[in-house]
Amino acid sequence: MFKLVTFRRFTAVLGGVVAAVLVAVVVFFVIYAWPAIRLNGWHFFTSNTWNLGNLYANPIERNGRMILPGAHYGILFLIAGTLLSTLIAVVLAVPIGAMAAVFLAECVPSQLRTAVSFFVELLAAIPSVVFGLWGYVVVIPFLGHHVYPWMTAHLGFLPFLSGAPGSGYGLLTAGLVLALMIVPLITATVRDALVSQYRGLRDAALALGATRFETLWTVQLPATRRVLVGSGILATGRALGETMAVLMISGNALNYLPRNIYSPISTMASFIVSQLDSALQDPTGLAVRSLGEVALALLLIAVVVNGAARLLLYYQDRTTGTTS
Amino acid sequence: MPDLDFRAAVTRARPAAQPAAEPAEAVATREVNFYYGSRQVLFDITLTAPEREILALIGPSGCGKSTFLRTLNRMNDTIPNTRLTGVVRVEGEDIYAPGADPIALRRRVGLIFQRSNPFPFSIRDNVAYGLKVNGLAKRKADRDAAVERSLQLAGLWDEVKDRLDTPAHALSGGQQQRLCIARALAIEPRILLMDEPASALDPIATSRIEELALELKTRYTIIIVTHNLQQAARISDRTAFFLSGRLVETAPTQQLFTNPGRKETEDYLTGRFG
Repeated sequence: MFKLVTFRRFTAVLGGVVAAVLVAVVVFFVIYAWPAIRLNGWHFFTSNTWNLGNLYANPIERNGRMILPGAHYGILFLIAGTLLSTLIAVVLAVPIGAMAAVFLAECVPSQLRTAVSFFVELLAAIPSVVFGLWGYVVVIPFLGHHVYPWMTAHLGFLPFLSGAPGSGYGLLTAGLVLALMIVPLITATVRDALVSQYRGLRDAALALGATRFETLWTVQLPATRRVLVGSGILATGRALGETMAVLMISGNALNYLPRNIYSPISTMASFIVSQLDSALQDPTGLAVRSLGEVALALLLIAVVVNGAARLLLYYQDRTTGTTS
Repeated sequence: MPDLDFRAAVTRARPAAQPAAEPAEAVATREVNFYYGSRQVLFDITLTAPEREILALIGPSGCGKSTFLRTLNRMNDTIPNTRLTGVVRVEGEDIYAPGADPIALRRRVGLIFQRSNPFPFSIRDNVAYGLKVNGLAKRKADRDAAVERSLQLAGLWDEVKDRLDTPAHALSGGQQQRLCIARALAIEPRILLMDEPASALDPIATSRIEELALELKTRYTIIIVTHNLQQAARISDRTAFFLSGRLVETAPTQQLFTNPGRKETEDYLTGRFG
C-alpha cells in the first residue's frame, strides 16, 4: 500500500505543478499588465487605434501614470483579425479534415493506411515558419494574381467577396494557410476514432439496409462527434495562437478593420511579435505592458472558445438523438 | 443416455406435436462454401429454413454458424477478401445472382447482433433509422406509428413510451437488445437473423428475448445462432448442428435433441466436446 500512496503523491505533485504553471502565467500577466489594464480600460477592446505616442517627446502624466503624449492602445482590429482568420480556418478545416479521415479509415486498404497516415501526420509536424514562407512565395502570388481577381469578378455579388482583391496578403490567405496547418490535426484524431470505433455500429446500419455512404454519414461520423469537437477545439487553439505563418501572409494591417475577405489583417499573436521591438522603445514601459494585455486577452479568448465548445458538447450529450 | 436438462426443456416448452404440413421455404441454401482469403470456413452447406418457424444453429465456437448466418443477408460482403460459392435463395430469389441488390436484401432480412448495438441516438431515432435510410414512412405521423408498433412488437413500448427522446444508451442491456430488435422490425423484414442475441444478457432478460422470439415467429421466419443448448431446445422448431464448417445434421428440434442421428451430434449434446 505504501508504494501506491507514494505514487499517488508523486502524480499529485506533478499534476499540481502543471496546473500551477498555468495559474502562475495568468497571474504574472495580470500583475504585469495591470497598469495598462487600468489606463486602457474598456477602450482597449472597443477602440481601433494602436498608437505608441510620440517617442521623442517627454512622457506626460495621466491618471498617475507616466505615458507618452498621444499614446493610445486599442485592439479591436486585432480581435477581428484573429477571430475571423480562425473562423475561416476552422470552417474550412473541420469538414475537409473529417472527410480526409473518412477516406483514410474507410477507403484506403489497411496495408496502405499506415503509409498514407504517416504523410498526413508529417504535415502536422511541419514548422509553421515553413508554412509561412511557402505561403509568402507561392500562395500569395498565386491567389493575388489569379484567384482573388476571379473571385471578385464572378463571386462579387456575395457579401464580403466584392471590392478590391488586394495583392494576396490578407484575411482569406491567412485563413487558408491556417486551415492547411490544422487539417492534419483533425484528420489524425478523427481517423483514429473511426478506426477504433465499435464495428457493431457500422454493421447495425448496414444490416438495416443503409448504404456505405449513409452508414458513414448518419452513424459513424455522428458517433465520433465528441472527438470531432475535441479536435476542433485543439485546432481552434492552434489557429488562434499561430504566429509566424500569419505574420508572413496576413498583411499586418494596423488600426484597420477588414472590409472584405481579401483585406489585410493582423492577429493578436503575430501582432505581439511584430510590435515588440517598437514597444521596447517606449521609455514608460506602457507599450510592452499593453502587449502583455494583448497576450492576456488572447488567453481569455482561447478559454472562452474552449469553454463554449465544451458547453455545446454537454448540451448535445444531454439531448442526444435530436441531431441524428 | 443421461437425462439432460435441455431434454426436459423440450418437453416442457413443446408438448404439442410438430406442425403436420411442411411450410414453404423462407431460406434455402445449396452447397454453400465460404472463404476468408484462402481459408475455407464453410463446406457445402445445404440447408432450408421453413417459413414462420424458428431454426436454431448450434455448434462449438468457430464452427461457422455465425458466418453462415451472415451469408443470408450478405453481411459478409462487407468484409474484404471473402468469397462465396453455391446458391442462397431467400423466398425463392437467388441473392448472390449478378445484379442482386444486397441493400434491398438487408431490408427484407433483418439481423440482430450478439452484442446489442444501439446507435448513439435517442430511442425514437434508433427505431426510425431503418425507415429513414430506406425512405419509408416519410410523414412524421407514419414514422411515429411505426416506432410505436415496432417497440410494442419488441415488448419494449411500456418501458420506454415516456422517454422516447432520451439516449438509447441509458437503457439496460436487455432493453438495448430489445430496442435493436424493434429497430430491425421497424422496416418490416420477412426474416430475422439472430446471432446469439441473449449471450450477453442475464437469465431474466434472456427469457424475455426468448418469449419475444416465440411471439415473433407467428409473423416472421427466425434463424437463431445460439451457444445455449437449452435455448435452442426451448424455442426452436428445427435445429441444425454445425461442426468445423460442415453441417452435420438438421432435424426437428425434439428429434435432434432426444434422438440425434449422428454420433458427433450426440457427443456434442452430451457435452463430450464443445
